[in-house]
Amino acid sequence: MYEQLKKSLQEHVTLSDKEWELCKHSFRPKRMLKRQFLLQEGDVCRELAFVEKGALYSYSLDMSGNKRVIRFAFEGWWMANLQSFFTGKPTRLNIEVLEDSELLILDRKNHEMLLEQVPPYERYHRIIVQNAYVALQRRVENALGLTAEEKYERLIAESPAFLNRVPQHLIASYIGVSPETLSRVRGSYNR
Amino acid sequence: MSITKQTVAILGAGGSMGSAIAKSIAGGNYRLLLFDSDPKQLGELSQQIRDKHPEADTHFMSCPHETSWEADIIILAVPHEVEKELTDKIRDVATQKVVISIANPVDEDFEKLTTRPDTSAAEELQEWLPHSKVIKAFNTTFAADFEQPVIDGKQTDAFIAGDDEEALIIVSELVETAGFNPIIAGDLTVSGTLERMQLLLIQLTIKNNYKWHAGWKILH
Repeated sequence: MYEQLKKSLQEHVTLSDKEWELCKHSFRPKRMLKRQFLLQEGDVCRELAFVEKGALYSYSLDMSGNKRVIRFAFEGWWMANLQSFFTGKPTRLNIEVLEDSELLILDRKNHEMLLEQVPPYERYHRIIVQNAYVALQRRVENALGLTAEEKYERLIAESPAFLNRVPQHLIASYIGVSPETLSRVRGSYNR
Repeated sequence: MSITKQTVAILGAGGSMGSAIAKSIAGGNYRLLLFDSDPKQLGELSQQIRDKHPEADTHFMSCPHETSWEADIIILAVPHEVEKELTDKIRDVATQKVVISIANPVDEDFEKLTTRPDTSAAEELQEWLPHSKVIKAFNTTFAADFEQPVIDGKQTDAFIAGDDEEALIIVSELVETAGFNPIIAGDLTVSGTLERMQLLLIQLTIKNNYKWHAGWKILH
């Protein structure tokens, strides 16, 4: 139930047994089914979710109700709306379950307790937020400066898991093209 | 009240209190997971919920561990004497979850509580689930009160006790959805008082024939 979390922590920091026990008992294990919501637009994001198994995705809805996918999270990844989490303001995003998932959820109070009482967790959190910032910046650069073909190629190179596990219409939304354009790009890419 | 639906597990949903709670919150913004060790008990409940709340998001479950794993809030609607065995089955998936203790540990003759004077059913439950947020609630109301929470023109009070502030707010919303006036009585050590209040109400109900439809109301 905690394997991926332990692995993720160990990749970046070293924890004593006591620190790991404190971390472990601070998370709420939650199993969720496909299409359930972890967070809906209008609520304040008060929790951070770690994916032990399965997949989540976050998106906003445009005026016509179409999904604009912001990001995905697979095993070993974190998911939250950090903007709402850090500012305490209602989120404009939805976080939905893409595949039946096993999550570990950390509320703000326990997150702050861990930051204070477990120094390696603070370091770990800094690295995770740093990586998230780099990924976000890269995503903005990709969105602004690449052609549909380049975006798709980069996606395949960087995140091959996308191809098998994410429906095409969500990939199209994620890279900001219409499903028809994605279909054309995929056709030419496969040739 | 949050927009995102919370999942509530009721373990012992086929009993009189479990089914009364399920029916009273089925119309709220909750996904309900109902489990009973005797699944036959759930048969009528399914129909009763559908009749009253056709849109209710209700699911009947076959395992207490799976049920609790999917839940945000777990209601133990079972007698206190079987709670320990149940907590052994769900402990690993109840971590950091709100667990509601509704039990009143009264003896067979309704004469006294079976717990030691310096503790309560809720505090014992907290010992058995050390990483959960145990909240005392729904113990000062009879099952019939859920059908008619307004008695003699007054909305029945429902007392809540616990140590986690956010959990107390979450349970207050649940109590309000069930039709009662929630009153946060204090931390978990207040549970003993709440359990004794219900022992007294049971004794007075028998003595004065309140027909198991009675409740507490603070007038001020």
